[in-house]
Amino acid sequence: MATVPPTFDALDPLAGRAPLILDNPSFKDITDAVIAPTERGDYRAWWMGFLVAVFFLGVLLVSIAWLFWEGTGVWGINNPVGWGWAIVNFVFWVGIGHAGTLISAVLFLFRQKWRTSINRFAEAMTIFAVICALVFPGIHVGRVWAVYWMFPVPNQMGTWPNFMSPLLWDVFAVSTYFTVSLLFWYVGLIPDFATLRDRAKTKARRLAYGIFALGWRGSMRHWLNYEKAYLLLAAIATPLVLSVHSVVSFDFAVATLPGWHTTIFPPYFVAGAIFSGFAMVLTLAIPARKIFKLEHIIHEKHLENMAKVILLTGSLVGYAYAMEFFVAWYSGNPYEQFTFVNRAFGDYAWAYWIMVSCNVITPQFFWFKKLRRNVSVLFILSIFVNIGMWFERFVITMSLHADFLPSSWDYFKPTFWDISTLLGSFGLFFTFFLLFVRWIPMVAIAEVKAVLPQASPHYDDSHTTTSDKAQEAVAHG
Amino acid sequence: MSAHANAVDLSDAQAPANSIWKKLPLIFAVIGVAGVALAFVTVGTDTKQFWYSYLTAYMFWLSVGLGGLFFVLIHHATRAGWSTVVRRVAENYMITLPLLGLLALPIVFGGMDDLYHVWVHPAATDLFVQAKTGFLNTDFFTVRVIAYAVIWTALGLYLYLASRKQDVTGDPKLAHGMRRVAPFGLILFALTITFAAVDFMMSLDPHWYSTIFGVVYFGGTFMAIASVLALTGMALQRTGLLKNAITTEHYHDLGKLAFAFMVFWAYVAFSQFMLIWYANIPEETIWFAYRATNGWEIVAGVLTLLHFVVPFFFMMSRHIKRRNLTLAIGAVILLVAHYIDMFWIIQPAMRQHDADPHFSMHIADLLTFIGIGGLVLAVFSWRVSAAPVAPMKDPRLMESLDFENF
Repeated sequence: MATVPPTFDALDPLAGRAPLILDNPSFKDITDAVIAPTERGDYRAWWMGFLVAVFFLGVLLVSIAWLFWEGTGVWGINNPVGWGWAIVNFVFWVGIGHAGTLISAVLFLFRQKWRTSINRFAEAMTIFAVICALVFPGIHVGRVWAVYWMFPVPNQMGTWPNFMSPLLWDVFAVSTYFTVSLLFWYVGLIPDFATLRDRAKTKARRLAYGIFALGWRGSMRHWLNYEKAYLLLAAIATPLVLSVHSVVSFDFAVATLPGWHTTIFPPYFVAGAIFSGFAMVLTLAIPARKIFKLEHIIHEKHLENMAKVILLTGSLVGYAYAMEFFVAWYSGNPYEQFTFVNRAFGDYAWAYWIMVSCNVITPQFFWFKKLRRNVSVLFILSIFVNIGMWFERFVITMSLHADFLPSSWDYFKPTFWDISTLLGSFGLFFTFFLLFVRWIPMVAIAEVKAVLPQASPHYDDSHTTTSDKAQEAVAHG
Repeated sequence: MSAHANAVDLSDAQAPANSIWKKLPLIFAVIGVAGVALAFVTVGTDTKQFWYSYLTAYMFWLSVGLGGLFFVLIHHATRAGWSTVVRRVAENYMITLPLLGLLALPIVFGGMDDLYHVWVHPAATDLFVQAKTGFLNTDFFTVRVIAYAVIWTALGLYLYLASRKQDVTGDPKLAHGMRRVAPFGLILFALTITFAAVDFMMSLDPHWYSTIFGVVYFGGTFMAIASVLALTGMALQRTGLLKNAITTEHYHDLGKLAFAFMVFWAYVAFSQFMLIWYANIPEETIWFAYRATNGWEIVAGVLTLLHFVVPFFFMMSRHIKRRNLTLAIGAVILLVAHYIDMFWIIQPAMRQHDADPHFSMHIADLLTFIGIGGLVLAVFSWRVSAAPVAPMKDPRLMESLDFENF
C-alpha cells in the first residue's frame, strides 16, 4: 500500500465524489490484487465449488442425452402447456445476461466510473448466461437433428425458415448479442492479458496469455485504437441491450393470447432482465470479492449502486405489472380480465404471489441506505430477486394452462427431468464462471487504474492539496 | 481543469435591467392571450375544432413543463454533476407546471363534450365503454386532472423554491433535501404522466387500449426537453447570459440525450405498432387504421421520417452535436416531430366519426400552439428576468463548469 493516508474523508459529501477504490492503492497494488487468483493454486473453496459445478454439468449432459433418446415427452409439457420450463429457463438465462452489457456499454456512455470495478465480472457472467440460454432452444425442438433449420440456410427441400416468426428473430437477436458481448469482453481483456503474459513465470503461461494478448505492447498507438474500439463497441452494444430482450418478449407478445399480447412487453422485459442481471452480479460478486480479497476494489459503494439499479428496475417491473392489470380491466375484454384474475387467484396463484413478493416487494428494502450497505442483506435479497424473476417467466408461460377452450385446460407439473435440466444449466454456468475467476483477471485492471487519483495528469502538481487532487481525479477519471 | 473553473465569470447569470428578458414576459403574455383568443374566434361555432387544437398544443407544451420536472428530478436522483449549470433553465420550465395545471381546467370544464363525447355520454349499446365508466366518467376525470395539477405544482414549487433558496444561503442541506425527495418525485411523475397520457389522449378513443401508451408519451417528453434546453441555452447566450458557463460540452450532452430519447421513442412507438399489427386483433388495429388512411398515412410517414430516420442519421455524429447551428437544426426537427406526434395521435379522433375523415389542418392549430406556448414562455421568461439563470451556490456548480466529454 502507498504511504499517503487517505484524505478523502475531508471531502464534502456533496461537492466532492467519494473515492472509487479504497485504501489508496498504487498501480502495482491493483495488479497484484487482481492477478493473485490466477497465479495461486491453493483455493480450497474454489475446488469444492468447481467439483459441485462439474457434477451438475454432468447432470445436464445426462438430462439432455435422455431427452434426445426419449423425446420431449420426458418433460411435464401437456396439450395446452406446450411450452414448459425450456422456454422459462431460456428467458431466465437471457435475462441474467443483460447486466454485463448494460454495465459495460450503457454505464460507460453515462460516464459511471464505478462500473470499472465490476464490468469484467458482469460481462463474463453475461457470456456464460447467454451460453446457458442458447442450450434450451437448441434442445427443446424435439427433432434435434433438424435444429439447423432455425438458421436461414436453404435446406435440402429448398425452403427457408419463416422470417415472420419471432423464434427466428430470436436466433438473430441472441446470436448477435452473444457475438458483440464476446467481442466487447475480449477487447477489454487484451491489455490485461498482456499484463498476465508479462508477469508469467512459466513458458506455457507466457505463450498462452501471449497468444490472447495479440502482441499488445501498450504503446500510445495501441491505446488510441483500443479506446476508439471500446467507444464504438459501446455504441453498438447499447441498442443490443434493449433489442435482445425486446425480441424475446416478441415471442410472447405477437401472439393473440391474453396475458401475452400486450404492448408494454418489450420495455418491461428489458427492465426485468436488467433487474435479474444485476441481482445475479450481486449474488456472484459478494462471495467472490471476499474469497479473492478484492473488497477494496468492489466495495460497499459498488454494491450500493447495484442495489439502486435493482430498486429502479424492480420498480419499473412493478409499474409494468400494474399497467397490465389496469389495462386488462380498462380494455373491457373478458378474456383479458379472466387471465389476470386467474393469475392472481387461480391454479398458479402461488407462483404469482412468489413473483410479486420477490420482484416488487424485495427491492423496496433498498430504499434504506443501511440495508443497501449491508452485505448479508444484499446477498439474501439478490437471491430472492433471482427466484422471483424465474417465477415471472413461469407465470407468463403458464398463461397457456387455461386457454380459450375450457375442456382442454390442464395443470402443468414438472417432471424429474425438467428439474434436472434446470439444475444442470446452473452447473454449466458455474463451471464456466469458476474457470473464469481462476484464469482470467476478474476486474478490468487497466480501467480501474484509470479511475485512481494517480491517473490524473495533475496528480503531481505541487500547488494543489491532496483533497483537490482526489476530487479532480474523480472528476476527470 | 479545476484551475480554469474558478476563472469562469458568472456575473452574467443575472439578466441586467436593459436585457430583452425584462420585456419578454409581457410580450409573450400578450401573444399567448391573443393566440388563444384568436383561435377561439377563428373556429366560430366549431368548438370541437377549438378543443382538439387546444388539446394538441396543450400536450406539446405539457411535455416541456413535465420534461423540465423530469430533468430536475433525474439530476438530483442520480447526483449528477455535469447538468448543474443548465439545471436552472430546466427549473424555469418546470415552474410553468402550475400554469399548465391551470390550462388543463378549461378542458375539464369546457371541452369534455367535444373531446370525450364517446364516454361522457356512452351509448347504451356500447358495452365496451359501459364497462369502463367506473374510470371514464366526468367526475373522476375532473378529480384526476386536479390531482395531476396539484402534484405537479407541489413538486415544481418545492424543487424551485429550494433551489432558489440555495442561491442565497448556499446551504448544502437544501441539496440533501432535494435529493431525498427526487426518487419519490420520480414515482409520482411516472404515475401522473402515464395517467395524464391515458386520460387526455388515449381516452379520446375509449375502445382502444395499449399498455405502453404512457411510455411513448414519456419518450417524446424527454426528447423534447433536451431539445428545448439546447435551444434555450443558445438563446440565453445570444442575449448575453451565461456566455462562458454553458459550453460545447453541455450542448453535446443535451444533444446526446435528445438523440437517445428520440431513439427510445422510436423503439417504444415501433413496439406498440408492430405488436398490434402482428396480432391483428380488430379492436386494436382500428386505432392505427384511422391513422393510416385518408391522408393520415402521409402524416404517419412524415412522423417516421422526422421522429426517427432523418434525425437518426443527422444527429449521430459528434460534430453535429458540438456545433450550435447544426445542433439547433436537429433540435428544431425533433420539436416539429414531437408536435406532429401529438397531432397524429389526437386529431384523427376528431375526424374519424365525421363525414370527412381526411387529414386537414386548421388555423386554430397554429394559433393555440402560439397561444399556449406564449403563456408558457411568459412564465419562463419572467423567471429568467427575475432570478439568476444558474444555481449560483450549488455545491456541484464548479464540477459542471469544469466538465468535459472524453
